[in-house]
Amino acid sequence: MNNSEILSVLLNSDKELIIYRNSDKNNFEIYTDFAEKVNLNIGNLDKFLNKLERFKSYKPYDCYIGFFGYELLCKNINLKVNKDNSSFPEGVFFRPQTKIILDKQVKIITKSKSKLLKDLKALNKTTSSNSNKISVSPNVQVYEKIFNKFKKNIRAGETYQIKIAQKYSNKKDLDVVNLFFNLMKKNLSPESFCVRTNDFNIISCSPENLFKVKGKKIITSPIAGTVSRDKVKSTKEARKFFENNQKEDKEHNMIVDLERNDLSRITKANTVKIQNLKFVQKYQYIFHNVSEISGTLLDNVRLSAVIKAMMPGGSVIGCPKINTLKLLNKEEKEPRRIYTGSFGYYRSKQDMSFNIIIRSILNFQKNNEVFAASGVILDSTAKNEYHENYLKAKSLLDLLK
Amino acid sequence: MNLLLIDHEDSFTYNLAHLLSGFGNLEVKNFYDIKEKSIKKSDIIVFSPGPGKPSDYPVSLDIYNNYKSKKKIIGICLGFQLIANGEGGTISKQEKIFHGYQTYIRTNSKSLRFPNNALYQVGRYHSLKLKEPFNSSSMHITMRCEETNVAMCLESHKYDICGLQFHPDSFLTPNGKQFIRKIIQYKK
Repeated sequence: MNNSEILSVLLNSDKELIIYRNSDKNNFEIYTDFAEKVNLNIGNLDKFLNKLERFKSYKPYDCYIGFFGYELLCKNINLKVNKDNSSFPEGVFFRPQTKIILDKQVKIITKSKSKLLKDLKALNKTTSSNSNKISVSPNVQVYEKIFNKFKKNIRAGETYQIKIAQKYSNKKDLDVVNLFFNLMKKNLSPESFCVRTNDFNIISCSPENLFKVKGKKIITSPIAGTVSRDKVKSTKEARKFFENNQKEDKEHNMIVDLERNDLSRITKANTVKIQNLKFVQKYQYIFHNVSEISGTLLDNVRLSAVIKAMMPGGSVIGCPKINTLKLLNKEEKEPRRIYTGSFGYYRSKQDMSFNIIIRSILNFQKNNEVFAASGVILDSTAKNEYHENYLKAKSLLDLLK
Repeated sequence: MNLLLIDHEDSFTYNLAHLLSGFGNLEVKNFYDIKEKSIKKSDIIVFSPGPGKPSDYPVSLDIYNNYKSKKKIIGICLGFQLIANGEGGTISKQEKIFHGYQTYIRTNSKSLRFPNNALYQVGRYHSLKLKEPFNSSSMHITMRCEETNVAMCLESHKYDICGLQFHPDSFLTPNGKQFIRKIIQYKK
């Protein structure tokens, strides 16, 4: 088999794998042959992070890649969360022994090619389509109640910005790898990834990096502000739109200060700099307003301190982060699981990257779930934001039909 | 010089910490986790911004009342409101809410730390404001919002106390460090 054939067999098998978009190199990386799989919970998180600190990758395929779920990240900063009665893991990291780079050519870097070939048993998936009916939680009445409660919280200064999440779900088997590449043709987001395991699957077209560490430098690129490309035609028009839109502009300011703050917890004094303030990124259907902020990590900063300071990512939660999370966890009844958690890789203390998991489908125990959230704005109505959430989730919901 | 920054779990506290760190040994403590020892050894107590209203933080109010005549005290945003509250002022909701705004403020002749009639551009994050009339024999409003006239700075003429309703720590406040320097270098 040549490399393309190996890849094709792998993708069409049911072997556990992760596909990760590398936007710096404009290609996809496929990780498989997992030598290790760590299911995380609040009891073993610190131990795992300590282990990572001692880990250093010497091979291109060697790394830990996976995610921290929202509930785990909340518990990590001593916040109460809703109980998830399912067996869904609060976080999982994999240590691959094979990395396949899907570029113009297919490149395979593996510990053992003979093992890889032996393992590849092409198995056709059973695709028994179930109900396509999509249910929503909270429903519009409950959503409106929470929305109006949060408006009061804003008036009282208890939160300055808060984003209510909604869950859309249905039951249907998914051919995750095919769906992922179909989605990529339409919506090639910089932080896209796909996870296929025996227990669950994830398809994500996240646009947002939470932080990257390169050497001593840490960089975050929060997104705050979105406009449909039906509404504005060019990047220049989008820039004007964001400048003129008071609401979006102020929200963006708040997120810039919040991220400066979170970086300041783990960086040397006066090294936090706004590298790029409010620049426009273009996607298939939307424009985003993005800023880039960096800092120099403290000497001997602990990985656990970095995770505590940065996660969950503030731009998708609101501000101030702690009290806003408390308010959200009190009102929201559905466990968010992967939503607003972080997915990424760790190669060494000087080389890691994590995104914010949004615009994602989680397929678990025959159930598919998509979350979307939007901010509570004093001069907006619950019905508007409820509809806005639906629009945000729509391209993913189309995949579930 | 030892500075104690009391963190009311805000998402802006550490921006302030970086501003303060150049002026001495800085210790940052959560409002629910302050030891008497930290307070005793500090020369300056700084009350951070934070969600909610002063009465949500009775321990911080106690610290203010116990140390206002003994140490230099600085309050930012909620910290400003804590000072106002400690001086008998009322904190109330305002019509227009300022979250993430950059506005102009102006100083007046009552200021001991800043030049009279100076105009500054500042970043703001507050739902609440100091209700007026605010009557205090020793505490004076020394800066106001150009647009709404809302109180932006409180300075004591009796003790070494200064509170700012705006955020010198925000990127929306150019030269935010100047405000901190003037307050710290001021000698009663």
